[in-house]
Amino acid sequence: MLELINVTKTFGDIAALSDISFKVDDGEFVFISGPSGAGKTTLLRLLLREIKPNQGEIILDGKNIAKLSSKEVPRLRQHIGTIFQDFKVIPERTVAENVEVALAVIGLPKNEWPARTEHVLRLVGLSDRANLFPSQLSGGELQRVSMARALVVNPKIILADEPTGNLDWETADKIMDLFEKINQEGKTIIMATHHKLIINKLKKRVIELKDGKVISRGASLPQKKEKKVDESEKEM
Amino acid sequence: MTRIHIKTAWDHMRRAPFQALSAIFVLSITFFVITVLSALVYASGETLKYFETRPQVIAFLKDTATTEQISQLQTRLQQDSRINDVSFITKEEALEIYKEATADNPLLSELVSPSIFPASLEFSLTDLAFAEDVIQEVKQEEIVDQIGFTASLGGENTLSDVVSRLRTITFYIRLGGGAFAFLLASTSFLVLIVIIGMRMTTRRGEIEILDLIGATPGFIRSPIILEAIMYALTGVFVGWLLAFLLVLYSTPTIVGYFGEIPVLPRDTLQLFTLFGIMLGGELLTGFFLALSGSALAVSRVKRR
Repeated sequence: MLELINVTKTFGDIAALSDISFKVDDGEFVFISGPSGAGKTTLLRLLLREIKPNQGEIILDGKNIAKLSSKEVPRLRQHIGTIFQDFKVIPERTVAENVEVALAVIGLPKNEWPARTEHVLRLVGLSDRANLFPSQLSGGELQRVSMARALVVNPKIILADEPTGNLDWETADKIMDLFEKINQEGKTIIMATHHKLIINKLKKRVIELKDGKVISRGASLPQKKEKKVDESEKEM
Repeated sequence: MTRIHIKTAWDHMRRAPFQALSAIFVLSITFFVITVLSALVYASGETLKYFETRPQVIAFLKDTATTEQISQLQTRLQQDSRINDVSFITKEEALEIYKEATADNPLLSELVSPSIFPASLEFSLTDLAFAEDVIQEVKQEEIVDQIGFTASLGGENTLSDVVSRLRTITFYIRLGGGAFAFLLASTSFLVLIVIIGMRMTTRRGEIEILDLIGATPGFIRSPIILEAIMYALTGVFVGWLLAFLLVLYSTPTIVGYFGEIPVLPRDTLQLFTLFGIMLGGELLTGFFLALSGSALAVSRVKRR
């Protein structure tokens, strides 16, 4: 479970986040929404411990990650899957190698890499692209590589910062279907987006930010199970 | 885990071959010169040792000297801390030496018999500064007829001059060689820092990604440091090999020119051992250069 308690982050005189508090349960899918400059990215950077809050606590699985030493940060990040708007794939490595890098980072024995990589590439629909380089892929495919890399380490939580920001609606829709599928497998997903269509389509809890403050915490919607049924019906 | 870092380092070298070649080239030149200088320092040291330890004083003995008297004098000389390598040369051995020296003209040796050569005690001095005192003391011995100084062909001061000049030359070879080697090693160090710094800059995106997905600083740095080590070890080996081949090629000429002065080991095994020791030392130096250079480059880029 993730809980933010009175978190404030300032950059000089500018308050990026002011006194933020909310909870995210295990397996939940939460949108962080709001206009540009609302503090969505700052919030995700705090969760990833790229930056420290000026005050407040960020509790992940009972541990205040704001208090982690810099040596403990890599370990934290190894348990968080991150997906970015600009994909952040390594251009000199193939799709499979980009995924394997994450496995090398967590120190998984090399003989276990092929099975894990193959599994996630199949999940994101890139099995036939494993040996291609990022320059040979479309935007949607690059985002799938990014998702595969995030998933392959079997993270407890997935942070996605505007993952559809660089994609057309059709591709974005497919990516969101994938996110939903991942969420149905039990992963907690926190996604920052200002894409209203996506938010409306998935009907998940929305935490709305404005000028660094939470203006709506939303509520966990009970459609999760219904959606699951819908999806399985769709697949059938 | 190391294998993935080696592969990454190798991939980076392949992707920027000119950077890799320039690093290896500079390091090869550095270690080629260092190997040649080391050989030169060894040769000058051996030459100096040769001149310092060759018999410098010959005490020609009277024909009346008994074996017991000779033995007593030899023992006394051996116990003297100023004297080294005392040896007794019989009349017969003196004739043999004479024959060898006049081998070009057999007529000269046919005209002489062992009886005309005096037996002698030959020895060298730990320091030529003791020469005068030792000669005076040995002259007082009852069984000693005359004292000869090895370099008497050119006057008594000649050997002293040669040794003194050799010492100066050796000193300057060591000093100049050391300074030159230091200068080259510093250049290599800077080149490594620049190339690793460039590598870090071009890999900035990848480093950022690795950092975000939880790579430890050690994981991120390892391929970069390994790359520097690969440059250094390749450079060391190439430089050393070139110098070794050069020495092997020129050994017959060098040995022929210097004659009995052992500027290089004549035994092949000893020569290989000498160069093996040099290679070991240079690999360690290269490793240290690569480790410190890359660590410095990484920390500098990280600070920016």
